Amino acid sequence: MNTLNLGDRAIALDKDGYLADLDDWSAEVATALATAEGIELSPEHWEILELLRGFYDEFQLSPATRPLIKYTALKLGAEKGNSLHLNRLFKGTPAKLAAKLAGLPKPTNCL
Amino acid sequence: MSTLHVLSQSPFGDNRLASCLRVLGNQDALLLCGDATYALQPGSPPFEVLQAAGVNLFVLAEDLQARALDTPDWAEAIDYSGFVELSIEHDKVNTWL
Amino acid sequence: MAKSLLLISRQAPWSGPAAREALDIVLAGGAFDLPIGLLFLDDGVFQLSAGQNAKAVQQKDLSANLQALPMFGVEELYLCADSAAERGVATDALALGEVNVLSAPDIAALIDRYDQVITL
Repeated sequence: MNTLNLGDRAIALDKDGYLADLDDWSAEVATALATAEGIELSPEHWEILELLRGFYDEFQLSPATRPLIKYTALKLGAEKGNSLHLNRLFKGTPAKLAAKLAGLPKPTNCL
Repeated sequence: MSTLHVLSQSPFGDNRLASCLRVLGNQDALLLCGDATYALQPGSPPFEVLQAAGVNLFVLAEDLQARALDTPDWAEAIDYSGFVELSIEHDKVNTWL
Repeated sequence: MAKSLLLISRQAPWSGPAAREALDIVLAGGAFDLPIGLLFLDDGVFQLSAGQNAKAVQQKDLSANLQALPMFGVEELYLCADSAAERGVATDALALGEVNVLSAPDIAALIDRYDQVITL
């Protein structure tokens, strides 16, 4: 079992580095997960992470890239809901990486 | 476009046969195999429904024989090469899993 | 031009994997921008009953997942009117908006229109 060490807490991760228990998520956890991926979270990142958590609340699943773009465009407008913006923020794999940082399960429809 | 609908489950256990007949297009055909061939049990409700439906009906001969059933004159018994031919003749195959 | 696919989902939601598998195929197809349709037939119409509670049977929330279909680009959603009527499922209070309720002849025409069909 992978773990993320945060102070004196050891947080369980699955084999791909996603949170084993979605309730373990917090801003601190997100920051630590991002650091492990070499990303410093900016307000632009946070807004997508919040959005993803909203998506999961609503649909109970993690979006693949296409629905992520569509949902982002719907909620934040087309200047943010496009692959260029999301790829830039999340190293070219926004569906997988943003889901990880947002504490969601790995998207199952990214084959 | 034509569709070959394939049924393989007993008509006495669920409503696949009834639903399939309901949405069958007039260029479509129906193939019974496996336990679906029990629909040709003489005197049974599915037998009468099929007889009255006047559909393009095919049935896998070996599955009929195994079950001691006969081919009525309104159906055509085929072997596996016939199955393959039917699959090719139709634009698509819809297997009712 | 990608081949179009119609998925016919005809199993009830909570007792086996078929409903979930049908949805997974549709979501994967949608994620790849395939022209894809989803028809609820027979017991499949129970997937659209309003007010279901997945937690009560410790399962993933299929009803919530179904709401994601438009986000995955799946807009062609159909329901068999006869199946719903036989089961007392009210088509004016479904758990999914934007579903086209079709008669049997309309369904025959629908199946005819797609390049491929999978029934689960």
